[in-house]
Amino acid sequence: MANIHPAGVFDTTYEEDMSVDRTPRDKLWKNLAFVALLLVPLLSVSGPLGLISDQYVGLIARIAIFVIAAQGLNILVGYTGQISLGHAAFMAIGAYSSAILARELGFTFWTALPVSAVLTGLIGLFFGLPSLRVKGFYLAMATLAAQFIIPWVLRYPLEGITGGTRPLNVPAPLIGPFASYADDPIDDATPLVFQAGDPYLVDVISLELGRVDGAQPAIELRNPSGDIVPPGDFNMTVFRDADGELTGFSYIATKPGEYAVTATAEAGATAFRARVRRGKALSFATETAMYYIIVPLSVFLMFLARNIARTRTGRAFISVRDNDLAAELLGINVFGYKLRAFFLSAVYAGIAGCLLAYERNSLSLDMFRLDISIEMLAMLIIGGAGYPLGALFGVTFIRVLQEAAIPALRPWLLEILPVLFPFIEVVNITSAINPILFGGALIVFLVLEPRGIAHRWEVLKVAWKIRPYAY
Amino acid sequence: MEEFFNRYKKELTWLFYAIAIALVLLFLREQLADKKAARIVQTLISGVLVGGIYGLVALGIVVINKASGVFNFAHGWMMVVGGMIFWSFFTVAEISVPGAALLSAATMFMIMTAVSLRSLLQPRNLTIAVGGALALTLLMTVGGIELKWLHAIVGASAGAVLTGLVVERFTIRPLIGQPLFTAVLMTLAIAEVLHGLTQIAWGTVELNLPIFVNPETNRRFSVIRLDSLKDMLGGVTIVRVELVIAFVLAIVAFVGFIAFFRYTSVGLAMRATSEDQQLAQSVGLRVRVILAITWAVAAILASIAGVLQGGAVGLSLNISFVALRVFPAVLLGGLESIGGAFIGGLIIGIVEQFGTFLNSSQQVGTDLAPYVVLMLVLVIRPDGLFGEKRIERI
Repeated sequence: MANIHPAGVFDTTYEEDMSVDRTPRDKLWKNLAFVALLLVPLLSVSGPLGLISDQYVGLIARIAIFVIAAQGLNILVGYTGQISLGHAAFMAIGAYSSAILARELGFTFWTALPVSAVLTGLIGLFFGLPSLRVKGFYLAMATLAAQFIIPWVLRYPLEGITGGTRPLNVPAPLIGPFASYADDPIDDATPLVFQAGDPYLVDVISLELGRVDGAQPAIELRNPSGDIVPPGDFNMTVFRDADGELTGFSYIATKPGEYAVTATAEAGATAFRARVRRGKALSFATETAMYYIIVPLSVFLMFLARNIARTRTGRAFISVRDNDLAAELLGINVFGYKLRAFFLSAVYAGIAGCLLAYERNSLSLDMFRLDISIEMLAMLIIGGAGYPLGALFGVTFIRVLQEAAIPALRPWLLEILPVLFPFIEVVNITSAINPILFGGALIVFLVLEPRGIAHRWEVLKVAWKIRPYAY
Repeated sequence: MEEFFNRYKKELTWLFYAIAIALVLLFLREQLADKKAARIVQTLISGVLVGGIYGLVALGIVVINKASGVFNFAHGWMMVVGGMIFWSFFTVAEISVPGAALLSAATMFMIMTAVSLRSLLQPRNLTIAVGGALALTLLMTVGGIELKWLHAIVGASAGAVLTGLVVERFTIRPLIGQPLFTAVLMTLAIAEVLHGLTQIAWGTVELNLPIFVNPETNRRFSVIRLDSLKDMLGGVTIVRVELVIAFVLAIVAFVGFIAFFRYTSVGLAMRATSEDQQLAQSVGLRVRVILAITWAVAAILASIAGVLQGGAVGLSLNISFVALRVFPAVLLGGLESIGGAFIGGLIIGIVEQFGTFLNSSQQVGTDLAPYVVLMLVLVIRPDGLFGEKRIERI
């Protein structure tokens, strides 16, 4: 679509032609939208105004995460024209690698995010290698193989660190601890009591073990009434040294309250001494706090993708999509650019997976099935592949359909359907609504508007800009 | 050096394959060294038996791909729908007269049309069709529970044809002229919708489809024990009868469909359309009608495979995953090759059974091995064993 500007605005330079914000008004609208997005948590129940329910904050955060993943897919599918059916598996790598880096190696969220993103990118590069020999549909089959091979590797050979089919807890992101103000030795049966008050400024307890010979020490956390604290109230990180020997634990309380820690050496341990260090840290354990990590990062990555599309690399991607033979003749290294697109797209998926892990606080392989890959492709098509805003529109459409429209429709359908079709059992309806509506929406878009919502949006924008003269 | 490579490219490629196969055999020898010969033979047999059904599934995918260039990701769910419809007609006690008449008329219409598109215009064929429909209606209403086989076959084929036609008319036909990516996504969307519909209509519980039962005792068959081979193999080899029957039926269906493609006028028209749509149109074939019939035929193939798989291992939504394991078989055999589909199915079946045999705890056979084969095929020989060579190297 040609750039259409309001009356009186003309492009006289190349910079003007390529600019994202051509008029000050474009810029103003974008900045206003961003500020409004940042103000949403203040309106929620846990914020000062208390106008809207907390679930909308979580909904926007989840949309923002999937916007990142779908934008990565957009680079691959929309700009470079390669099909990927394995994007959920790439997300799984980002999620699991960041969680394992934090749990086993003591990385913080801030260091685990880039490391896991690059790792995902490299694995995406590996599964992009068949694009040397095959293209189109065959490449889609290669990514389909990735969708099965990667979760299998995470589930069985790496079961020791990923937990296999069991869910994996992920610690909340922290800034800090700022000050360590206590340094108490701890031994058998002397409980250590500490307060975890504010959800934003949490107590961090880290236990440094002196030397552990033989069996592991049993560390227990109890609340004042003496019950063992459920794992969800705490995030635990285990530290090991280079030989794999246990050197310490770190606990971070996610819920306010009073807790007691006891450390007991199991039978067979010959030497055991623990030291406790306590401190305050800024925690992102709550949904609202995670919102302020996820949403700005998502907006930043959207703009990054928009800008990549305007560079030499982006133009090369588009030429590979439009005609790879012609691109090769123009001197573009087609294979190299396909691999670059795979890498970038997997990096985006890795970031999205990492954010998903930290937002949910818990991971399982069921979150990354083939259905999710298909869902992401569907989001992209419904939104509009190859448009900068396509990912945003598509993800918003599908998520709002799933999390707002389906719950609203469900009671009505539960009444109507058994009357119309007496053989239907009510139990089966609830879980079947989602695939039917989702697949139906995809079919409708593919038949009626294969260019997606973003195309309609462009048409609408042009119509608005040239009003009141339509021609 | 480069000249040498170019000159002996073919020989070197074959040498490379030979070395690779030798390495695989050495690895297998290492792995199988401590296993009993009887178990190995048993695994091989069950691999071939499972592979027969896979070949049938692969045939359905190949038929659609040949005719319209669409790779059908929804084939697994078409299997589920076909199997479930068969189950519904199989378990229903009796069928009303109008229902039976409608189903019989539809079946006779299908049979006559499958032979030749215009055959019903001839008075003789019309008489045969009407007579057949009346006889079938009479059998279905009078026969009662004794003829539940007839109910199920007639009902399932009508249901499958309806599914195929509806899918083709409302989702595939509007996409003519769209890029490949759209067709891939469309079949994925069909898969989602069929998933939801089967779940609403039949639920997620595994259904019992007792088609492979011993007619005398009305129970499941006991297994065949190959005692005569005991001395040679050093152990008893056990073969499941259900799988044998399913395999034989799959072969029969396979041969039947090959005969259909070779000898009937509709089958010939389908092959002509898949060779070149424009040329087919120019000699007077109705390409749109042929494409619709192709989808109906593929849906029937999917139903047969669904019924056989459901009867052999249990009918539930999980049999849709069989189609995912068949994709490697299709690529291995070649996207356009009907015989290749069968060979690919057999190979994947054997690979799967050996994977399960060597490492049963980690689901290597079902969750990993077929996809590793898929990656290898894509890297080494993307056109498959018997597929058309494409000159698209970029």
